[in-house]
Amino acid sequence: MADKVEAKEVKLTAKDFASDQDVRWCPGCGDYSVLAQVQRSFPDLVGIKKEDIVWVSGIGCSSRFPYYMNTYGFHGIHGRAAAIATGVKLANPKLSVWVATGDGDLLSIGGNHFIHACRKNVDLKILLFNNRIYGLTKGQYSPTSEQGKITKTTPYGSVDYPFRAISLALGSRATFIARTLDRDVKHLQAMIKRAAEHKGLAFVEIYQNCVIYNDGAFDIYTNKETKDDHTLYLQHAKPMLFGKNKEKGIKLDGTKLKVININESDNSINDVLVHDEFDESPLYATLLAFMAENSDLPTPVGVFRQVFRLTYDEGVENQIAHIKAKKGEGDLEKFLFSANTWEVN
Amino acid sequence: MESKAIEKEARLMKGNEALAEAAIRAKIDAYFGYPITPQSEILEYFSREMPNRGGIVLQAESEVASINMIYGAAGAGARVMTSSSGPGISLMQEGLSYIASAQLPCLVVNVSRGGPGLGTIQPSQGDYLQATKGGGHGDYHVIVLAPASVQEMADFVFDAFRLAEKYRNPAMILTDGALGQMMEKVILPEEGSLPKKTPEWATTGKPKWRERNIITSLFIQPEEMEKINLALQKKYELLKQEVRYEEFQTSDAEVVLVAFGLSARICQKVVELGREKGIRIGLTRPITLYPFPEKIINRLAKKIDFFLVVEMNAGQMLEDVKLSVNGICPVHFKGRMGGMIPSPEEVLEEVEMLLEKHSISHDMEVK
Ligand code: SF4
Repeated sequence: MADKVEAKEVKLTAKDFASDQDVRWCPGCGDYSVLAQVQRSFPDLVGIKKEDIVWVSGIGCSSRFPYYMNTYGFHGIHGRAAAIATGVKLANPKLSVWVATGDGDLLSIGGNHFIHACRKNVDLKILLFNNRIYGLTKGQYSPTSEQGKITKTTPYGSVDYPFRAISLALGSRATFIARTLDRDVKHLQAMIKRAAEHKGLAFVEIYQNCVIYNDGAFDIYTNKETKDDHTLYLQHAKPMLFGKNKEKGIKLDGTKLKVININESDNSINDVLVHDEFDESPLYATLLAFMAENSDLPTPVGVFRQVFRLTYDEGVENQIAHIKAKKGEGDLEKFLFSANTWEVN
Repeated sequence: MESKAIEKEARLMKGNEALAEAAIRAKIDAYFGYPITPQSEILEYFSREMPNRGGIVLQAESEVASINMIYGAAGAGARVMTSSSGPGISLMQEGLSYIASAQLPCLVVNVSRGGPGLGTIQPSQGDYLQATKGGGHGDYHVIVLAPASVQEMADFVFDAFRLAEKYRNPAMILTDGALGQMMEKVILPEEGSLPKKTPEWATTGKPKWRERNIITSLFIQPEEMEKINLALQKKYELLKQEVRYEEFQTSDAEVVLVAFGLSARICQKVVELGREKGIRIGLTRPITLYPFPEKIINRLAKKIDFFLVVEMNAGQMLEDVKLSVNGICPVHFKGRMGGMIPSPEEVLEEVEMLLEKHSISHDMEVK
């Protein structure tokens, strides 16, 4: 018969992860960048085989994602992606399960499933495409739209308060929490890889520009002229510095954060907070999560917090092993004949 | 005087917008909804028009939230409504079951699209069974009206509230994406012409002189639960007096089409084309889908050769027609699914094919 075939490890490229489907987002949509960066970073993932990757989504513009990835996909139900993904993961724990979702899908109708997936630490990677608007239904406000926003359903300005996705994930005990930007491709790739490496629920909020219904929502964080003063790149064990010449820093003042200029005589780099991604206490990450809405402070991007806990599927497996050790392997035959039985003639 | 005259003038409006405008004129107190194609215009219209014309509009976090806000507001005695499309209406079924059991009035509008699942955003009538048979758990029904024009999209809002409040029961307008999106001339109902008073059972507070009232659908004792069920069934029996339908050229017909909503519009054209060809064909259009006009169908069954039920689904109203006919004459079916709309020509072709078949079997009987 045939000779033995030498199976050589072939290095995959971004192309291997692209499906043959036409991508149907609006030209210029930030979703294109997320797709490209996922496809670029996936060949580098260590220990995750392409055939083990599954993309799950709900409903919305970003939820078209599974069609465009050359992996297994699941275009699910509005808001339910986290629950569907939980089912996928528990049925087959060896899979690497990714969720593509938007601010309407995950935080509005899907809020309940999201917080519970976080709480259980299901080993999912959730990418939130946050464009602060409903795109697919053509421009209604979303649960991350800023107060006062004028949209088709808030023609006089919205009155409700938006969710802070990062603090919601923190409050729900997600074990990996990060934020990144569609336009910073390097950073976006780095965050995708970090999420992939994390064991447990990884949540990545991506500020994503919707060119049609909310164009420019995040310009201030990505435009050359403004980004240095408004975006704070978090780096583990590094002082929190920003500004054109990294002259500004974040200082903890009582329980509040404030900006200082380290070149001013009263200040020094030693006054600046040093970022600790692995802090067990969520308090400090919570302070960072609240920065985004404070116009006096820059908006942080990067890993807010990463902690290590048993994942849900590990927990379940451990429990099963424990019960089996105690009660022995289940025996159907024995179970069926364990109580009264009759013979029917 | 002059402004009244202008009011009566016909306006060109989209179905969804005419419906929303009619609801404002029906003086609804609140609208709770969530965007979904093809009915987001309803929520958008309210958002724009309600604030200075009275009433609250709220974009809920989901359809589950919408229907529960409706439950709350209806319980507080308000005139309330929501709207959605198939996937969202499915999410509301739990709430509808509770509202029906608690006997509260409200209006739910279903601008349907093709399913099952996420399906398509093209028009469909695939939610007929869900709408007319209860949809949620337990023995209950929702009053269902099916408009076939933009004019009726507006008028039926008034009719639906009238019925919902009279019978303390949720009412539904079952329409579809095509009627919601199409533009037609409409004469809008007069603002404030629907009488309104806070019902005595509403949770409006409990001063000393007022009896305590708890709105609930929990009746744990089976005897009590059966009593509630019997009361509901009695109500549905009474509802039969509200049956509405429309007949078109049925008096001398050998063949009668049965269709509702958009399909009925298409079938009207089929009747016209058929009559031109000398076919004695007519149309019965149920306007209330629940209660269903079973008597008229049964009466016709005794006079005609056969029925052809035409729907944009796999044959849902067909079941009600068959029950009404009860074997008296043959009932055939022509349907398109998944957001496809049957053309008058293809329906007529079906009629001609069936006529041929029937004449053959007639001949055989003679021999
Ligand atoms: S509507 Fe906005 S989010 Fe959706 S594809 Fe278009 S640009 Fe992207």
